[in-house]
Amino acid sequence: MTDKKQGNAFTNNPVVRAIGVQKIVVVIVLIAMILFFSAMSPAFRQYSTILSIMDYTYYLAFLGIGVTFCLITGGVDLSIGTGMFCYALIGGYLITQKHTPVIVGIIVTILCGLIMGTVNGLIVSKGGHAPFLATLCTMMIVRGLGAIITGGSSITWPGATAPNGWTRTLFKMDIGGTKVPLGFLWVMILAVAMSIFLNKTRPGRYIIAIGSNKEATRLSGVNVAVYQTIAYVISGVFTGLAALAYSSAFQSMIPGGGGGIELNAIGGAIIGGTSMNGGSGTIAGTILGVFIMSVLQTGLPLIGLQANYQQIIIGLVLIIAVYIDVLKNKKLA
Amino acid sequence: MEKIKQNAIVKKIGFNSLVLLCVMVLLYILFAIITPMVKVNASFVSYARIVSALKYAYFLGFLSLGVTFVIATGGIDFSIGPVMFCAALISGYLLTMKGWPLVLCLLVCILVGTVFGILNGVLVAYAGLPSFITSMASMMLAKGIGSVFTKTQSVSWPQSTDANGWYRNLVGIKAGNMEIPTGLILLIVGAIICAIILNKTMAGRYILCIGSNREAVRLSGVNTKRWETLAYIICGTLAGLAAIFYVAKNTTVLPGLGDTFNNEAIAGCVMGGTSMTGGVASIGGTLIGVLIIALLQEGILAMGFQINYQYIITGLIVLVVVWADLRSRRKRN
Amino acid sequence: MGDVILTMKGIDKSFPGVHALDHVDLEVKKGEVHALMGENGAGKSTLMKVLTGIYSKDEGTITYEGKEVEFSNPREAQDAGIVIVHQELNMLGHLTVAQNIFIGREIMNGKLINDKKMNEEAAKLFEQLGIDIDPKETMSRLTVGKQQMCEIAKAISHEAKVIIFDEPSAALTEAEIEELFKIIRDLRDKQMGIVYISHRMDEIKVITDRVTVMRDGGYVGTLITKDSTKDDIINMMVGRVIYEDPKTESAVPKDAPVVLKVEHLNAGRMVRDVSFELRKGEILGFSGLMGAGRTETARALFGADPKEGGDIYVNGEKIEIKTPQDAVKHGIGYLSEDRKRYGIVVDKTIAENSTMASLEHFMKGAFIDKKRENEVAQQYVETLKTKTPGVDQLVVNLSGGNQQKVVIAKWLVRNCDILIFDEPTRGIDVGAKSEIYQLMNELVAEGKSIIMISSEMTEILRMSDRIVVMCEGRKTGELDISEATQERIMHAATLRD
Repeated sequence: MTDKKQGNAFTNNPVVRAIGVQKIVVVIVLIAMILFFSAMSPAFRQYSTILSIMDYTYYLAFLGIGVTFCLITGGVDLSIGTGMFCYALIGGYLITQKHTPVIVGIIVTILCGLIMGTVNGLIVSKGGHAPFLATLCTMMIVRGLGAIITGGSSITWPGATAPNGWTRTLFKMDIGGTKVPLGFLWVMILAVAMSIFLNKTRPGRYIIAIGSNKEATRLSGVNVAVYQTIAYVISGVFTGLAALAYSSAFQSMIPGGGGGIELNAIGGAIIGGTSMNGGSGTIAGTILGVFIMSVLQTGLPLIGLQANYQQIIIGLVLIIAVYIDVLKNKKLA
Repeated sequence: MEKIKQNAIVKKIGFNSLVLLCVMVLLYILFAIITPMVKVNASFVSYARIVSALKYAYFLGFLSLGVTFVIATGGIDFSIGPVMFCAALISGYLLTMKGWPLVLCLLVCILVGTVFGILNGVLVAYAGLPSFITSMASMMLAKGIGSVFTKTQSVSWPQSTDANGWYRNLVGIKAGNMEIPTGLILLIVGAIICAIILNKTMAGRYILCIGSNREAVRLSGVNTKRWETLAYIICGTLAGLAAIFYVAKNTTVLPGLGDTFNNEAIAGCVMGGTSMTGGVASIGGTLIGVLIIALLQEGILAMGFQINYQYIITGLIVLVVVWADLRSRRKRN
Repeated sequence: MGDVILTMKGIDKSFPGVHALDHVDLEVKKGEVHALMGENGAGKSTLMKVLTGIYSKDEGTITYEGKEVEFSNPREAQDAGIVIVHQELNMLGHLTVAQNIFIGREIMNGKLINDKKMNEEAAKLFEQLGIDIDPKETMSRLTVGKQQMCEIAKAISHEAKVIIFDEPSAALTEAEIEELFKIIRDLRDKQMGIVYISHRMDEIKVITDRVTVMRDGGYVGTLITKDSTKDDIINMMVGRVIYEDPKTESAVPKDAPVVLKVEHLNAGRMVRDVSFELRKGEILGFSGLMGAGRTETARALFGADPKEGGDIYVNGEKIEIKTPQDAVKHGIGYLSEDRKRYGIVVDKTIAENSTMASLEHFMKGAFIDKKRENEVAQQYVETLKTKTPGVDQLVVNLSGGNQQKVVIAKWLVRNCDILIFDEPTRGIDVGAKSEIYQLMNELVAEGKSIIMISSEMTEILRMSDRIVVMCEGRKTGELDISEATQERIMHAATLRD
């Protein structure tokens, strides 16, 4: 009765299994993509490309880490893209229009994420709504909210040289004329911390358990609603962090924007091996998947494919990633 | 209360639809009273406002009718808004830049919707992908393809005085100072056809039954995949048709937009009594639901508020209506 | 055997319309393996659910370690030391073995989970049990047998004093059963009380010390295993008087043509090389215990589940059945055991359900001819005596028996010649039952052929012309009704290879 132990010598290799086949494939694809873009475009072979990839990576990684928790419970959070814009608008509005200290703006930005995450979590766990529908509705709500609070005008966070522009240096520091992508450090620290949270703490363990078999988890005496809510709260807080990363990299945002970015983050997570069916997923995989997205976003314009092509490509990538996930689950069943 | 519900006429129309009609009338009266109070010199009661609200209801109505079929199967389609825009962009581009005959362009417009419907249907029914993520991916595709086709330019359809302007008569014919709302007639005809398809044909019967109990239908020897695909095709085609009514009202279409209309169409649909869990759908309800959404947006504009309030309200409406539906179902079981 | 650890006395439990447990007694001693036996529906699982607090009892007492107890949920029972190893495994497939064993009570190291310690503890448990499982392995990668071992390890880690095994061997291979028995003997030597629920007679003889037999919710008696024979136990299990007249000889003429022939059907581990024939006008009974693979055989035959191999002939012609559509096209109809999930669409009307499989015959151009649909549905409401105010009634409002009639109507409207009735009278009251029987007899008299899967011995003996008996996915017997007895069927149903 070894019918479940499928696979070949490669997939059963202990090192390969420890890392995960999918992650190894993603790394190979990532390297191939970088080689491809480098070969196609001289502009890609410059230091500034790394900075540009990083700018996309920061906020996508934060969104990706957060939504990975929702995906692992078997749910999803569609409000993160629009939410990120909304929170950045609110925080930026306080700093630039209401002249609050920058730190207040930052705290409010993250707090907004925390509140909306809690709302999402409660609607899903207590209200019994399908996660995609619940978070779609909150996506509409934050979309309107961001625009209403800023009076419908776009917001530009302080520039790096402005007196209160130190938020930007948090992610990109100028050391002796060279710009250093400092944000990568923060992404890595948080990724490691959340990875530990997911794998080494009770809430993390129960989040995985809920996605694996909700009823069995409940019967083991775990308060399922609480941990399901926590997953959405994490997603909300990380959306707040992503808002900081975004405003630091791109400075300004228009009200009502951000729609579609959630698909980049969800796509990244799924490419990294997180399953739409719940129960499995890794933070490391999500970070790798997000890199695919950010390299695409940086590389495609350099070979002459602008934003509109990117949407098509990301749509296709998403379909393929989800289809692979469906096939994977079929094989397991 | 029970007595009213059992009344033969009430039963024929549907109690839910009657309640909705009352809500609509009350909302109209409410706006009529509040508008002058909120905004000086503004009034809500005018023929022009009714015509304006109706024009919003036409394209939204066709979107909503279409998505009713998909929701009836227990699925969802988040691509309809962007697909509508994509169809309008492609056909408008062919009309204005390539000089294709108008009739052909209108056909292309509908056909673009059909193609997206087929794509969604095949991915959901045959490949087994979750409908929400599939349709979000095709939303990206629709946005991307639309803007690639027009080289990221917006497209302006001809004015009514222009050579090719007769298509505008589809929404309204100017007769002196009055405007005859031809669109309303067409929308009602469309709704009647949809109601016939849903209630009188094999397709409608199987679509509803799949939504209630897919496995029982499959075990009756029915090709459930084919009928499920058809629901998405109907939805896509109607999104293409909606595009014609959109440009007849708004003239100009911008690339990369359209997703806000998804939510409004879905809101109209669920308000009308179509259940998100599938199996129950009411075309008449959808129609009234859409009229309420249109009235709401007209009222918000008349009072001088931003359209963003509309997003928040639609989000809340969907959450509340779906929650009520879930609750009543739980009670019955 | 040591002192008595658990006594259940006079346990009585009723559900609306069913007297599930009728003053049942059970006594378990320390260091014994006590078998609980009975046919499907005898009340074994209900008794265990009462013990572990899933159901509350109406009457009777439970004494555990000398004190009267009443648990209000499985967790309380668990904390007291009474643990069930379930038939359906409550596992979390994505987590590791050790993580599963300690779910809900992780070993902590400050704020962090100490997986290393949990792995060590799990390894100790496995060592204690003498089984070789890597605690770090992902649960879903284990075989069903190994998963079962993990459940046992989990039970032991709760410091259990009484362990209940609910059909533990149903999904295990021979080697795994050996391993299981070794563990059970070890546990017995450690003075635990073990309740062992199983249908397998030979296992009972090998592993258990005493046997308590239940029948129809009642207590029949307790035997000492080594002093009793297999036949003693079988007689106690089936000893009920059959009120309805059993069929004495087949009503099918010897030369009746074969309408359906199935050869070497294989589908997963529950359908292994099944072959049989069905004649015109015949009711072919499929008997066997729970999990014998009868439903799986029917579903594979009907195209509802994929099959790996096998030939199907209808009226002598070889046909290909890949989907239910193919089966229906060749005149096969399937009435599922689980009506609500697979039979009816509950929030649709009787008329709509009746024409579900043959809607194309009710079209007038592009439209459904509702008038004719209603007429035909009405006609079947009358012939099947379905109790309903009208054909526009939603099926959800009908009783179980009448819902079943709607499913039958669906296949009769389709004019299927071969009907598979899977547990046709499950959840149906006595009056409606005999109506369904009469109807089946009328159908075969009209020249239709029926495969009837049933777990009720009386039903099998009353209705069938011929009986196929299955055990663990294989056909283990075929009897003509004239030679069939309860004992012979039960023998075949417990015949393992």
